[in-house]
Amino acid sequence: MTAMLASLFTTAMELSGRQRFFLMLPLCLSIAIVYKAIRNDSMQRFPIGVLTLWVTIVMGLVAVGGGLWVLFRIMV
Amino acid sequence: MSLQAYPSIVQVPLVGFLSWLVPGLGHILLGHRTRGLVCMVTIIATFWCGVAIGSVQGTVAPHYRKLWFVAQLGTGGNTLAAYALHLAVSPESAKSSKPVLVSHWMSAEVGVHYTGVAGLLNLLVILDAMARSEPFKAGGRRRRQLSRGFP
Repeated sequence: MTAMLASLFTTAMELSGRQRFFLMLPLCLSIAIVYKAIRNDSMQRFPIGVLTLWVTIVMGLVAVGGGLWVLFRIMV
Repeated sequence: MSLQAYPSIVQVPLVGFLSWLVPGLGHILLGHRTRGLVCMVTIIATFWCGVAIGSVQGTVAPHYRKLWFVAQLGTGGNTLAAYALHLAVSPESAKSSKPVLVSHWMSAEVGVHYTGVAGLLNLLVILDAMARSEPFKAGGRRRRQLSRGFP
């Protein structure tokens, strides 16, 4: 059991380029959850606040990534 | 156990240390249970997901990834546990300043980002817990805000 648990953390996952971009989503969700847990005063507004911040971060990153990709295409 | 009984000169560093050791523990001991549990689960899950993605040899490597290791140290207890696992699994690579070829570079990079971000998020949690613990700073409007909403 311990060896199996340890192997989970000692063997890396095989990722493709496309999968790497999708792994951005849970990371952004973590940032949104912790930030809102610290800043929000009300538990009732917490889920909607997290969702709004998560979407904002993801859309912002997509916009920056898309902009840089277009710039790269124009210049190279 | 509550930290409220301690004088502020002891409470503030103690809360900071406990939050560093286990993310969210400072908030829980100050009475902000939900807030502390949310931070604890999120930061610990983010850190260990990163280690699972990139492997402990590829992500927690203080000699090869010095600056990332500093960021990872934000979540102290987890990083020390991961480094202990790295030392147990492969002591020579833990002390090596060369890249460890146990994973594809892409997996290792994603894992490093996850663990580094977890450490930096815990830094925010530590500072927030310390700000909430200091009685004279939580006066007036701020105290009313803090006591409302999240338990």
